[in-house]
Amino acid sequence: MSLIEVKNLGFTYGVGTPFEKKAVDNLSLSINEGEVVGLIGHTGSGKSTFAQMLNGLIKPTEGQVLIDGTDIWAKPKEIRKIRFKVGMVFQYPEYQLFDETVYKDISFGPRNKGLSENEINKTVRKAAEFVSLDDSLLEKSPFDLSGGEKRRAAIAGVIAMDPDVLVLDEPTAGLDPKGRDVLLAQIMGYHRERKNTIILISHSMEDVARIADRIMVMNRGRLEMIDTPKVVFSRVERLRSMGLRVPQITRIMTELKQKGYEFSDGILTVDQAFDEIVGLLKKEGKL
Amino acid sequence: MSFISAENVKFSYDEQNRNVLDDVSLKIKKGEFVALLGHNGCGKSTMAKMLNAMLLPEWGVVYVDNMDTSDEKLTYEIRSNVGLVLQNPDNQLVAGVIEEDVAFGPENLGVEPQEIRRRVDDALKAVGMYEYRTHAPHKLSGGQKQRVAIAGILAMEPSCIVFDEPTAMLDPNGREEVMKAIQSLHDKGITIVLITHYMNEAVLADRVIVMDKGRILTQGKPRDVFSEVPVLKRHRLDVPQATELAYRLIGAGVRFTDMPLNAEECVKLLEEVLG
Amino acid sequence: MTRDVSFGQYMPGDGVIHRLDPRIKLILLIAYIVFVFCAFNFVSLAVISAATFAAVMLSRVPLRMYFKSLKVVLIIVLITSALNIFYGGGDVLWQWGYLTVTKDGIFRAIFVSVRIVLLILLSSCLTFTTTPTDLTDAIERLMKPLKALHVKVHEIAMMMTIALRFVPTLLEETDKIMSAQKARGADMDSGGIIKKVKAMTPILIPLFVSAFRRAYELAVAMECRCYHGGDGRTRMKVLHMKPLDYVSLVISGIVLAGIVLCNVFFASIV
Repeated sequence: MSLIEVKNLGFTYGVGTPFEKKAVDNLSLSINEGEVVGLIGHTGSGKSTFAQMLNGLIKPTEGQVLIDGTDIWAKPKEIRKIRFKVGMVFQYPEYQLFDETVYKDISFGPRNKGLSENEINKTVRKAAEFVSLDDSLLEKSPFDLSGGEKRRAAIAGVIAMDPDVLVLDEPTAGLDPKGRDVLLAQIMGYHRERKNTIILISHSMEDVARIADRIMVMNRGRLEMIDTPKVVFSRVERLRSMGLRVPQITRIMTELKQKGYEFSDGILTVDQAFDEIVGLLKKEGKL
Repeated sequence: MSFISAENVKFSYDEQNRNVLDDVSLKIKKGEFVALLGHNGCGKSTMAKMLNAMLLPEWGVVYVDNMDTSDEKLTYEIRSNVGLVLQNPDNQLVAGVIEEDVAFGPENLGVEPQEIRRRVDDALKAVGMYEYRTHAPHKLSGGQKQRVAIAGILAMEPSCIVFDEPTAMLDPNGREEVMKAIQSLHDKGITIVLITHYMNEAVLADRVIVMDKGRILTQGKPRDVFSEVPVLKRHRLDVPQATELAYRLIGAGVRFTDMPLNAEECVKLLEEVLG
Repeated sequence: MTRDVSFGQYMPGDGVIHRLDPRIKLILLIAYIVFVFCAFNFVSLAVISAATFAAVMLSRVPLRMYFKSLKVVLIIVLITSALNIFYGGGDVLWQWGYLTVTKDGIFRAIFVSVRIVLLILLSSCLTFTTTPTDLTDAIERLMKPLKALHVKVHEIAMMMTIALRFVPTLLEETDKIMSAQKARGADMDSGGIIKKVKAMTPILIPLFVSAFRRAYELAVAMECRCYHGGDGRTRMKVLHMKPLDYVSLVISGIVLAGIVLCNVFFASIV
């Protein structure tokens, strides 16, 4: 059985006002335990609304979200419990830091979850380790950290709740290229150890191509595709019509293939492209 | 004669810390498009603020159009001549109506009302935001807000605009809109200094300057600078996939006649290679 | 939830009232408020009510919007009129224990409610037809003479402009921070007052931090655009009195004269 089941999910803003707008429209899908799903779509495609319905921050106007087979809104009074199961890291999460020390800030989630002091200590330190926050930083004020450290502390605050599903909305926005790579590697390292489900919302096709098992594409509130990166990024034209790009390397290899060179479909990384080209050159005796 | 000339500039935010700028010298010609690259904390934003007298060098001098930035009498003349567009579009807009915001700069300079009106209309048209002139900023997208911020600088009629990571907080569409606006300003003869992380933006420049630890590491034509893939990687800079592929193929013994900087060039060059 | 603020919102339009000089509108609003309190009998109250309804109709703003504004003060109207009903002198109409309802009381209640309703309609008429920026502008220009008394008119106006600009931004930000903390399991709906106030800390602190960061960045941006206070500053918009503005002044003068005459010729009630 899949971990997350979404059935005919819909959300309309401002029902009954002139500003009525369908943000998510009849969306159904299922996500398995331990999967890494990339979620792409341009701004206003309903990505964020969809994500916030997964942890009950937004109540759907139609359809349901099932986690472990139960509707998360079956007992509306207990919706808060779902937040510990589905952790959500918002865009620019460093803006939510508030406590005196980094340690206290990271422990905010676990404390709300009702863990004992001992458990809190364990989970906070573990979370800090996943994002490589040094122990000496834990007693500092979060406002004294560098930009990148703040971002990692904020993400640790969600990881510390030990959620089965981790939703990340543009976790690398505003970081420099190296910072971006390091943070993604940390998130993936955490994923490999915890084996939880990850939903990564991103504008960077290169990042999504690199880490996702499956990619869901949203456009105007609808789910346009959900498939492996290979399949999704082979539909260059379809993506372009939705205002989305494919990774640069995929574009290069697709164009070469269209010109008649024998390359495989859906090449997603520089490594793959390198192997393909060297292979072809060797076959033709040019290298 | 260079339009901007910085000579041996040193600067630190407090005494104990190392120099954020450590003996930086650079010259920028009128009408040039220069991209300034470097990872977070390399001193490039500090350098940007040196160019319009928002910060003054502790050591060394900065001249803008032959005016010494440390001359207080010239501060406003320098700032209206070298505009600075910042990263966060939200925190640059002062007024609750677009056209009023764009008018803010010229109003501060004491320009005549009819002339302000003309400048505001021209600036908004130049960035394609004229139809939105009576709108409120908070209803616009990030890219639109940033274009309004650019118009606000443009209305001061500067001969140079410095952009400090103008696209860092925008989505891909917003990024494209802003880069188009910057290009068209360059085409009109405005000197551009673009600070960015994104290589695909820096390739549009006439010259690329890479900074690290408060110093200039390397500079030159985009094609020459970006060919040094290991140097860029070592300094936490991003290399376009097209360039990286070519670089690795060259390493494996494949011959390229040139270094590709984008997908089109890469496809063309690979066609040559594959025959 | 924070998006549903409708009271006092500007409604774009091109009616007569929209086109009036904001300074005139502001002066007229103050004048009409005085008129409302100068009406001492039903005839003069009728005159000022008629003038108000004329303004409401001329504004071409959907009446529904005015009703929405009135809904906000409905409770105040009910309470004050209830109090007035029971505290009048004169002929007793009805009595129950300590509670007496008198003719005077009823008149008074009607007067008070009509006055409140008129005040709300008039001020809504101004805010529906004038952008906040125009309003601040009008205040700045009308207060200019106070500069002689060392009142920092320009600074006050600048602060109002910036506040108006950032209210929506900060509301949006509050929403975002609230969602982010809820996602970390923050419980903001249960518990007593103290618990609820405590639960606000994780929202208020980030909000303050962010407001200061924005303030700093805005200050830098303003300096980059050569801001150096009000001295030597010009304005893009020059306000000129148009014939329409003079006409509205004359009409208002006539209304005032009407009210004074009605007050003189008819017995005063309050």
